[in-house]
Amino acid sequence: MRFVTPPPVRRLPLAGEQPATVVEPGAPGGAVATSGRRLQASPMAVERMTVDRMSIAYGAKVAVDEVSLPIRQGEVLALIGPSGCGKTTLLRSLNRLTELTKTASMKGRILLDGTDTATLEPTALRRRVTMVFQQPNPFPMSVFDNVAYVLREQASRRPRKRALQGAVQSALERAGLWEEVKGNLAHPALRLSGGQQQRLCIARALAADPEVLLLDEPCSALDPISTQVIEELIVQLREQVAVVIVTHNLQQAFRIADYVAFMYLGELVEYGPAEQVFGAPRADRTKEYVSGGFG
Amino acid sequence: MLGALVCAVLLFVLTIVVFVFKEAWPSFQHNGWAWFSSGGNVDRQIQEIFTAAADLRRPVYTFHAWPIIWGTFLITTGAVALSFVAALFVSVFIVEFAPEWIRTILEPVVRLLASVPSVIFGLVGVLVLVPFIGEHVISDDNRRSVSYIVSLSGYSLLAGVLILTLMIAPLMIAVFSDGLRSVPRGWLEGSLGLGINRWRTFWKIGVRTARPALVAGTVLATARALGEAVMLAMVTGGVAFAPNPADGVIFFVEPTRPLAATILQASEELTAPAMRHTIFAIAAVLLFSALMLSLTGWVVKQPMKKYGVRA
Ligand SMILES: Nc1ncnc2c1ncn2[C@@H]1O[C@H](COP(=O)(O)OP(=O)(O)OP(=O)(O)O)[C@@H](O)[C@H]1O
Ligand SMILES: [Mg+2]
Repeated sequence: MRFVTPPPVRRLPLAGEQPATVVEPGAPGGAVATSGRRLQASPMAVERMTVDRMSIAYGAKVAVDEVSLPIRQGEVLALIGPSGCGKTTLLRSLNRLTELTKTASMKGRILLDGTDTATLEPTALRRRVTMVFQQPNPFPMSVFDNVAYVLREQASRRPRKRALQGAVQSALERAGLWEEVKGNLAHPALRLSGGQQQRLCIARALAADPEVLLLDEPCSALDPISTQVIEELIVQLREQVAVVIVTHNLQQAFRIADYVAFMYLGELVEYGPAEQVFGAPRADRTKEYVSGGFG
Repeated sequence: MLGALVCAVLLFVLTIVVFVFKEAWPSFQHNGWAWFSSGGNVDRQIQEIFTAAADLRRPVYTFHAWPIIWGTFLITTGAVALSFVAALFVSVFIVEFAPEWIRTILEPVVRLLASVPSVIFGLVGVLVLVPFIGEHVISDDNRRSVSYIVSLSGYSLLAGVLILTLMIAPLMIAVFSDGLRSVPRGWLEGSLGLGINRWRTFWKIGVRTARPALVAGTVLATARALGEAVMLAMVTGGVAFAPNPADGVIFFVEPTRPLAATILQASEELTAPAMRHTIFAIAAVLLFSALMLSLTGWVVKQPMKKYGVRA
């Protein structure tokens, strides 16, 4: 049931695939602000998730109103919009975390590879569609255990620590945290800085090896260099994983997103390629918001 | 001002401890380490200490407390172990899995149960559980097989453990569920968001994070179990008999009496100095156990805090 339609490009590294603009992490941060788009749109985008007239309300308050969107692998989708417009709510509904809020009610459908997510087991769904939260929420364990947690839980037999080492290291490297923590993996995760905690949460999500990665403002607590590491990671990831990122940083959305969805008061005002949304927005609301951000 | 208050409280506690141990000393001095050993019948020894004083003979101090220490140990560990398991499951259920309406009913009920006076539990034990054990659990064969040492009537270790479990479990549930509830939602959602199911999430993140509360609740409940006198004096049979595991199943239905209940029963005879010292010696053992209990709780909690606190 899970893989009715096998994901076509998953885990297939494209021949000669190299992100065009891999900037050394040590490069001057000033370049980030001015640099333009990282990559051209990927040639092989595959639709993985479909949001179909989704409405979400908390009690009587409608937080997301009839939103329809495709989410494609091979592209990064950025959700932008003013605070409180329902970005987090929409993101949480993609892997049914909204259900944990007792007052929340949903209407509409979300499909993953053509299967209605409502018919999937939430655990199985969340294994494939993994979330990094707006507030860093590392577990009260060591750095190592935080990343190893999901590996241990997913394994049928509890793996040895030695066997996990490689996977933990690679996840931490990809999240750009390895250099800072490699000396002491037993360090309590809650004693990392806010930005380190957020990167640890990203590493944790990567270790889960998802098909769709949901990132809720992953860079809001990060310095420019860590931000750059994460941005490059996202751009690299998009070939193997469908990435949805919520961001308040319009520059960032412009740099890494292939498609941008602008939300306002729960409604999806505009959805389109990043160049179009930022360059020639159709709706007045979008124009206002985007020009404010770049003004 | 606050400092003075703290000092006053500390001084008060210290005074009590010193007073109890000072009063207890002669009994320990006369018996040495044998005080803690077995040897003879505790009830008869207490009787002897009392009559010697009443007859104005030389004071007698001989006292071997093993049966009542053993009884205390059995009742306390039995009840604490049972209620720990029960309380853990109930509080996990209340906090995480119960529908709202069950929760709104269960929580006040638990808090009410935690505050019911122990005499009432004792009464229920005497009127319901003890006759039940006497009629349905103990067979005539059982009675006959140990009749030369002790008579089985239903007043028993089992009755004490069960009623005590009922008494301390609500206390544990209250503390446990407070602890589980205060686990940050973000940690649980973080685990759920990685596709770990609710049970595993709650077990690995929720319960694990709440371990200090589990320890605190267990210490509190154990302290209450150690100090429980009235109810246990009512349902355990009031004889200072040491239940013998070698007796097989009968072990559970043999009568016993813990330290606190012994103090209660002997408290009218405190007038004679030898008697007073003996009773205070029992009290000192109880007090020492309580201190050790708190200390153990504190020690056990330390490594659990390693990853939890922000510093
Ligand atoms: N648990 C909740 N209960 C009730 N209302 C909620 C809840 N969570 C969010 N809301 C409401 O839903 C609306 C959308 O919230 P949401 O968190 O999705 O906004 P957001 O776009 O992520 O904002 P931000 O950029 O500040 O993170 C807000 O008006 C908020 O007040
Ligand atoms: Mg948000």
